[in-house]
Amino acid sequence: MELFFTQLTNGLAVGGIYALIALGYTMVYGVLKLINFAHGDLFTIGAYLGLTLLTSLSLTDHLGPVAGVLLLSVMAMGLVGVIGILLDRAAYKPLRTSPRLSAVVSALGASIVFSNTVMLVYGPNPKVYPHGILTSQAIHIFGLSIPVMRVIILASCIILMVALYTFIQKTKIGTAIRAAAIDQDAARLMGINVDRVIMLVFFIGPALGGAAGVMVGLYYGQINFTMGWIYGLKAFTAAILGGIGNIPGAMVGGLLLGVIEALGAAYISMAWKDAIAFGVLILILIVRPTGLLGERVAEKI
Amino acid sequence: MKKLLSILIAVSFLFAAPALAKDTLKIGLMCPLTGSWASEGQDMKQILELLADQVNNDGGLLGKDVEIVIGDDGGDPRTAALAAQRLATQDVAGVIGTYGSSITEASQNIYASAKIIQIANGSTAIRLTEKGLKYFFRTCPRDDEQGRVAVETIMDQGYKKVAILHDNTTYAKGLADEAEGRLDDEDAEVVFFDALTPGEQDYNTILSKIKATKPDVVFFTGYYPEAGMLLRQKMEMGWDVPFIGGDANNNPDLVKIAGKKAAQGFYFLSPPVPQDLPTKEAQEFLDAYKKRYNATPGSIWAVLAGDGFRVLVKAIEETESTDSDKIADYLHNELKAFSGLTGTISFNDKGDRVGDVYRVYKVDAEGNFVLQE
Repeated sequence: MELFFTQLTNGLAVGGIYALIALGYTMVYGVLKLINFAHGDLFTIGAYLGLTLLTSLSLTDHLGPVAGVLLLSVMAMGLVGVIGILLDRAAYKPLRTSPRLSAVVSALGASIVFSNTVMLVYGPNPKVYPHGILTSQAIHIFGLSIPVMRVIILASCIILMVALYTFIQKTKIGTAIRAAAIDQDAARLMGINVDRVIMLVFFIGPALGGAAGVMVGLYYGQINFTMGWIYGLKAFTAAILGGIGNIPGAMVGGLLLGVIEALGAAYISMAWKDAIAFGVLILILIVRPTGLLGERVAEKI
Repeated sequence: MKKLLSILIAVSFLFAAPALAKDTLKIGLMCPLTGSWASEGQDMKQILELLADQVNNDGGLLGKDVEIVIGDDGGDPRTAALAAQRLATQDVAGVIGTYGSSITEASQNIYASAKIIQIANGSTAIRLTEKGLKYFFRTCPRDDEQGRVAVETIMDQGYKKVAILHDNTTYAKGLADEAEGRLDDEDAEVVFFDALTPGEQDYNTILSKIKATKPDVVFFTGYYPEAGMLLRQKMEMGWDVPFIGGDANNNPDLVKIAGKKAAQGFYFLSPPVPQDLPTKEAQEFLDAYKKRYNATPGSIWAVLAGDGFRVLVKAIEETESTDSDKIADYLHNELKAFSGLTGTISFNDKGDRVGDVYRVYKVDAEGNFVLQE
């Protein structure tokens, strides 16, 4: 039982990070019907920018660890969000009216450009966040020892997701985003500035990915320029699992994928961890082709 | 416009002329400048450029300047095949590289059929030299040798229950299988044998699972980024089991990733680094490297590429030719106890390096790698 609960907390922390990245995939897909394959690299850029800000501004020394890390995360999110908007301008906007495959190829190209830019700027060796910025203490409850950082990560992910959900559901801009996701032409006729909506989506999604990058850096310490690929793949899987284009779906999918991986590795086989995760994905897609929370949308003819 | 273009073309020929006129002796380097092993490739490139400049300052080779021609294998077998095909058509006297076993394997037959000498530097998989390729050599030792030394070290420390962890790469799995096979003949029990996924950050799940089997020691055969994460997370779990690593852990970044406290007491196997060799060649190389790059060489495998370059240069000097058959013959039979940057070098008929190469290192409290006698 102890193993089960330990792995459950492992899975939830990793799943929270998957979920945050998955939101970026799902939001862009919802509005543009485009899989932004460069999203994983935006997450990597977030982690590297976080490290640069941390070491160059020494925020944590001036403001104390908690406020410093908060400010750092906000700055990194803002920067990555801006890079997201620039990515859209450079790689996707010129292809809005082109066949959908062109944008996919463009996304793959952008991904290669990003990861190699990071390699050229920061060098190919793994980089390491300074040790001991945040506590490495553990909480002991019911005979389990759970690192405090793990709880903080999960809590931060949930707070960000709830904030996003509230923003999408309760505000006027959120309503505009939902309207643009349903039918862009009708939204335009209703006076919604769709271009601005797209810009906003390309700001919010990458910003959340950037936040995930900073979290990974702070919690695990080591970052490298290729990590966007594996996290991106997992988060993309999580988005599909929950139903691509659906925001609560991305959250559920991320947490679920993290837990499936942790438990699969613990009770079945470690080497087959990814195979188990993808196996579950296939099973769910057989039963529900649109994912767990995805709606059946009739294709326009 | 047309006029301008023709002028430009004419001018570019003017600049190109001296480059064409100068006759150089080309030596190829196939290394991963991109992809997940890019740091290894960059180190290889730096070391070879340094050594080539040294040769050129001493009057060159056969009266010509040595030029390093680089092919990027991307740490990927398909890219490596392309890089090898390109290098094979560039009239090189030999090719140094590469790092990964599966990558070298993808290029071996291309060089063999073009009759080009290939000296690999990091590819330790056993089968590479079991194919009877005449022009293939390597300056790194083999996995069976490493497995032998690993098991010897484990038994010397008196451990009885061993957990073996690899990362599913050709190299790491081969070494893990080798060690497991040898432990079966010893008075020890393998209580755990499985793989992790390289490139991830969270290995808590795996560590909890290994911990449940209560091993006396964990033998990890993968690479240093994962080893660093494992050591760090093991300490955060409050589990103090000794870890022994394979030769892909010999990189100072391991200590950076794990932190000094977590890395302390970690053992790993490796060919000796130049810092630990008393020879004149090793010390001179270190000084030159420090002077030019302001650092000590990070990767032992890149230094082994340097040794590959040095034996090739030696063979070209001694045979006074760039003929592959003559060079191969010299390396197989004539080269004896050549003083390298990583100890003495000789080759057997298969092209494997001969001699007792592996040493055991331990990380001390300061994060230094200390050679264990």
